[in-house]
Amino acid sequence: MILLLEGAATSSPDREAVVTSEGSATYSELLDGARHIAAGLRRRGITRLAVVEPDAGWVLRLLAGAALAGAEPCQYQPDTDAGEFADHARALDHTYVVTRREDLRGSFEVVRPESLLAEPLDETLVPDDERAQPLMIRTTGTTGVPKAARHDWRVLGRTVGNVRPMPDQRWLLAYGPQQFAGVQVLLHVAASQATLVAPFPRQPKDGLEAILTQAVTCVSATPTFWRFLLAEARSRKAALPPLQQITLGGEASPGDLLEEIRATFPAAKVSQVYASTEFGSITSVRDGKPGIAVDSLYSESNPTSNVRVDDGELWVRAEAGMLGYAGESGESGESGESGAGDSGGWFRTGDLVEIVGDRAMFRGRENEVINVGGVKVHPLPVEDRITALGSVAAARIFGRPNKLTGAIVAAEIVPTGGVGGADIEGIRAEIKAAVADLPRAWQPRNVTFVDAIETKGGKTIRGMEDT
Amino acid sequence: MATDQDKARAVISDFLKRTDKGIDGWGDNTGLWGDGLELDSLEAAELSALLEDEFGSDPFSAGGDLPESVGDVLAFYTGAST
Repeated sequence: MILLLEGAATSSPDREAVVTSEGSATYSELLDGARHIAAGLRRRGITRLAVVEPDAGWVLRLLAGAALAGAEPCQYQPDTDAGEFADHARALDHTYVVTRREDLRGSFEVVRPESLLAEPLDETLVPDDERAQPLMIRTTGTTGVPKAARHDWRVLGRTVGNVRPMPDQRWLLAYGPQQFAGVQVLLHVAASQATLVAPFPRQPKDGLEAILTQAVTCVSATPTFWRFLLAEARSRKAALPPLQQITLGGEASPGDLLEEIRATFPAAKVSQVYASTEFGSITSVRDGKPGIAVDSLYSESNPTSNVRVDDGELWVRAEAGMLGYAGESGESGESGESGAGDSGGWFRTGDLVEIVGDRAMFRGRENEVINVGGVKVHPLPVEDRITALGSVAAARIFGRPNKLTGAIVAAEIVPTGGVGGADIEGIRAEIKAAVADLPRAWQPRNVTFVDAIETKGGKTIRGMEDT
Repeated sequence: MATDQDKARAVISDFLKRTDKGIDGWGDNTGLWGDGLELDSLEAAELSALLEDEFGSDPFSAGGDLPESVGDVLAFYTGAST
């Protein structure tokens, strides 16, 4: 990160690097800030730090400064509950917390970013690609307690090694910069010497506002984010400007959403990225179709592919993956997300896929499968049929515990235009017809109508509802 | 003023409409299974979820024997009225 920032600051010192709700900064200003922060970290002897900061300008300075100092930053959700944060910081042994928040207290020392920025420079600190540049990234944790993956900026930087300067691009930061996908956007923007447009909060309506007012040209976001952004645009009758690049990741992209995006932004290049906090960026699909082309999977005739399907599950080989989880000593991807790798460097992903014709179609996460009386139900195919309805803006399929069958399939539905005024019984009938040809156990038995569905890190939360 | 039993009848009525069971003239003595409403396990699970949503509990999940008739379901919701 520090090397990319230095490169951009050298070639385009006065280019606007980041625009946030708090202001903007050029590449030279970011680099200067990072150098001061590095000096502050070094003088305080800080080698590991938690970062709780909403503003992407501060985040960029802190991450790059930590890289320069060789310290390991770990970002937390900026609006995380203070008590929950204290527990998680203790679990990850974070004894220094860099934040502007006043309510964070615990078994750690709070360091204000302004105080780091005010430090005089340390001329002995220079970017050095031979030295470790650690980074810890907590998983989104849509289920269970988030884990933390140990990365190195030098390894992550390989994924943007071929990125050419595209200084006219303006990328919307729709992910939190604490998410792996957010880090990827930061890297890509720095590598392309472009401008990051980073509103906070980062809800779809905030993203839409940024697209409409900040001359955004490129957007990377989850399918759930896109679905709500487009629904918001429709309800506001907003005239969306053309985009150059649209990237979807973090979840499977339904076909109807891809079609809607293509119709709304006909000039945009659309990519679907398969990546995870643990394995890094693995592959991308650029043909605009859902799923992965079967002929791009690993085979004897395609031995360089890093993706294969085995027994209905996606396996991957990581080229820029994590070093290990926090607390582990492994240094080279010894732990797959499911803890199961084979001798060829392949790891299980927990993503279930089905070969349909010439595509490997995502069916959901292994831990999202709903067991209805012994029948395994995958939420995504059900969700896809429902979200394809014009009367439905968004849907969430999940398992609801039931004494008689173990679970039933439940659905939360956001009607187009909101619950108020929606033809609820009409939508129920449409949903029933849309899933009529699915096995009976797959059909939603409990349908509720809501104004918003629950998400985490921009992803829809599926799986079993807590009892 | 609707009693809980009246509300339970309304839930059952809505459920039968939504599931297109096509059963008319049901009453308290109508059985839930076999020759009555002919519920299968998925339909019973659906009805139990609807009753739980309305009342916070349901006779299918309460433990003990499963209800056998509409009257058994109504009997589970005795007493309080609104």
